[in-house]
This record gives sequence, structure tokens and C-alpha cells, in this order.
Amino acid sequence: MEQTEFKSHISQRYNASLEDLFNQVLEMGGLVEKQLENAVEAIKCEDKSLAKKIKQLDRIVNKEEVEIDRLCASVFARQQPTASDLRLVVSAIRIAVDLERIGDEAVNASKLAIKMSKTDEVPCNTLPAYDYLMQILDFDRAMLQKVLTSFAELDINGLSDIIEYEDQVSAIKAKALVEIQQSLNNNSDALAEYIMQMIVSIRSAERVSAHIVNVCESIIYLVEGEHVRNVNSEKLNDFLNKAEEDKS
Amino acid sequence: MSEKGLSISVDRESQSLSLESEKISIEVENLDLYYGAKQALNKINMLIPENRVTAFIGPSGCGKSTLLRCFNRMNDLIDIVRVEGKMTLHGDDIYSKSMDISALRRSVGMVFQKPNPFPKSIYENVCYGLRLQGITNKNTLDEAVEWALKGAGLWEEVKDRLDENALGMSGGQQQRLCIARAIAIKPKVLLLDEPTSALDPISTLAIEELIFELKKDFTILIVTHNMQQAARVSDYTAFMYMGDLIEYTDTDSLFTNPQVKRTEDYITGRYG
Repeated sequence: MEQTEFKSHISQRYNASLEDLFNQVLEMGGLVEKQLENAVEAIKCEDKSLAKKIKQLDRIVNKEEVEIDRLCASVFARQQPTASDLRLVVSAIRIAVDLERIGDEAVNASKLAIKMSKTDEVPCNTLPAYDYLMQILDFDRAMLQKVLTSFAELDINGLSDIIEYEDQVSAIKAKALVEIQQSLNNNSDALAEYIMQMIVSIRSAERVSAHIVNVCESIIYLVEGEHVRNVNSEKLNDFLNKAEEDKS
Repeated sequence: MSEKGLSISVDRESQSLSLESEKISIEVENLDLYYGAKQALNKINMLIPENRVTAFIGPSGCGKSTLLRCFNRMNDLIDIVRVEGKMTLHGDDIYSKSMDISALRRSVGMVFQKPNPFPKSIYENVCYGLRLQGITNKNTLDEAVEWALKGAGLWEEVKDRLDENALGMSGGQQQRLCIARAIAIKPKVLLLDEPTSALDPISTLAIEELIFELKKDFTILIVTHNMQQAARVSDYTAFMYMGDLIEYTDTDSLFTNPQVKRTEDYITGRYG
């Protein structure tokens, strides 16, 4: 499948609608990428103002989701899409929902920066599981970049990496929680409020990767026409490998 | 970074169409139409925007074709028809006694359900209206024919056989020829009465695409039985039922969130 397929209808208006929808999803994805990038910097630097900018971006991301809904409703009502066009519209709605949730999670994760900016006594990078949080966020960013490229190119080849990354994110999260548990056992209550925020941020960062996997599933539906939701990563990987073999 | 500072195009509410922001071509005010004693149109009030496609939908006998024929006084040809109320085209009263019907029909062209080319050459079909206006200059006619055929998306297909009889063309081509004939005299308004109901799906799409292109130059009113076609081609849609204008709004709103239950029931296939 190639993007040009969506521009080859007799109706130029239909072509324009689908192209608009396609670009709107990519635009929204770009904004969410920026949110994640800012979240990493904000936490690293305990930068409260950068964390607030993530919130500002989130308001725009929310508007993007509404706009994508509006475009999809319009295409459904006016063009009665079928086959790959129909799958594009259905996928766009689903991807927009996941991107919006990723944006929300970026806001939640960055609240750690706001919390830590209020104290000089405890540097953020001394908190338990800080390195793990950074690792998860790095994976999130890499996964999001790959999945948006995959959508832009309508190519599912790179998606197996994302499934693998998500497994790694789950493992890192488990380690992070162990480290936090140990810290809570050893430390006084003085750090508790910061550690609680760290737990929230880690959970949010982990949820980002889960939403990116959902986006993968939507892209597979768009490109291959197959519903691969609610399967484990092993089965999803099997499907992707088989699709690659069939292609070659 | 402020929201305003971001160069993205999220807020497209302004793209939504609204009659309030349109330049109006035709105004209809309290229009009643009677076939003898039977009233076929009841107090129709509407503003038709310029350079837009306005579609009329509704079940058979709802009055949509009757209303369409009011815009160029085609109903005058039926003896028992009586029209009351007001209809103006760019401020001129269409139903005034001083209205020159021929001039009106030059301003408001019409294309019918079945293609009806004259049994003449393609060239003569297109320049028929111009010849009636007394234009005889060959260069003027050549230019007008080429312009109209290009406008109707037919030029590339027929430019090398303009002298051939129009009746030898396919149905879709004949209908586009009729559109070329209608636009050759450069009307302000184009009335399309079920222009694709006799055509195959691909010819239909070609005509729909043409309608989208033509609205740059003309105000287009289309009657169609095909709701999906109205959704595809129009900017505004009017839903009619038993001679009443039930709902009239931008097409996106009408097909995604109609405000009147009767409209919703009709477009969702709950009655027809």
C-alpha cells in the first residue's frame, strides 16, 4: 500500500479530504513527539516552565483530536469510504485517541519536574528509579518516532522493533518498582512525596508505550486489513514476521 | 511557547460553511406554488449562496424539482401553475411582470435528467445558444466552444471530432455536452435536475467532479434522488418533504447532525 492510493480517486475533493486526514494525524503525532521530548528535558532539568509548555501543547493536541474526529465524520457522511479508504478513516480515529492519551501521559510524567523544581534539597536525579524513568522515556520517544514513520510510509516492517521495545519497557518498569520498594523500605518519610510522584511518572511513561502498541495495531489494520488487537507480543510478532515474509 | 505561536492548523472551525458569511445569489421569500387547486410548495424561504453547490433532496413528490424549475420559470410552461411570493436573482425579481424570460433563462441555465443533445454536431450543440444570441463571428464561437468543452471536462475527448454528430457520444459524454451547452452562454446559475440518474457509476463520478470544478464560475443548484450524491457534491443541502422546506443548512451539518427529526429519519433510511 502506498500513500498515493489515497490520491487516486476521480473526485479531487475526496483525495483532498483523505490527504488532509492523513496529514492531520501526522501533525498530531509531531506535536505529541514534542511533548515527550519536552517531558524528558523538563525532568532532567527540573524545568517547571518547560513542564507547563507540555500542558499548553496538550491543549493543542486535544484540539487536533477533535479536528480529526470532525474530518472522519465528514468523510463518512459525505464520501461513504470503502476498502483502504474506510480503513484509513477508522484507523485515524483510533490513532488520534491513542495519541491524545500519550499527550496526557506526557503531562502526567512531567509533573515530576514541577514537583522537584520546588525543592533544592533533593536533586531529581538522586531519586530512586530516576535512570529507569529516563530509559523508559527514551524508549517511548524511539517507539513513537518509528510508529509515525510507519504510518507515514504505510509500511509495517519497522513495527516488530516496537513490540520488542515494549517488552523491554515492561521489564524496566518492573525493575524500577523494585528499586522504589527498596528505597521506601530504607528511607525516611522525607522523600515519600517525591517518590510517589516518581511512581506516577513511571506508570505514565509505561502507559505511553502501551498506547504506541495500540497505534501499531491500527497501522496493521490500515495496511493489512487484519485485526490484531488483544494478542500478546509474541503473536503480534509472528504476524508481522509472516507479513514480511509474504511481502518478500 | 504560546498556543498562538505554534504554526499548526488545528482550529479549522472557520472552514465550516455558514450562510451568514456567504454572498447570496438568489433569495426566496414566502414562495407558494399551486398546480391548479393543489398546493405543491408551501411558504419556501431560503437564501442560495453564490459559487456554491446547493442540493435539494427529499422523497418523490416532495417538490424539489418543482422548486428547481421556479428558478428559471420553467413552470410557466404549465398552464395550471400559479406562483405566489418572491424570488430574486441578484436583487432582480424573477417573477416580476417586466422580467424578460429569455434573458432569465440565459442567466439561469438548466441541465435535465436525460441527456438531450440536439441531432447536430458537437460543435453546433455547444454554440447553439450563442447563435440564438446572434453571435456569428467564427473566432468568437470557436473560443466559446473550446472554453465550454474544457469547462465541461470534455475537450480532450472530442477536440478532434467536433463535426461529428453528438448523438454518437456515450451517455456520460452527452450529459457533459449538455453541461457545456448550458455554460457556453455563461449563465450565473446552473440548475441540474437529476443530472446523473441515467448514467453509470464512473460517468456519475466524472459529472460530480465536474460540478465541483464548475462552482468556481457558477452558482449550482442540483436536485438528486441520491442522498449520497448530495453529500458528495454539495456545500449546502435542503431537505424537502410534502412541499415544505424542512431543513436547510451546510451539507456537513445536515449529514452528521441534522436538527430536525424528519430529516434524520429520511437520511438514515427510516422512511422515504
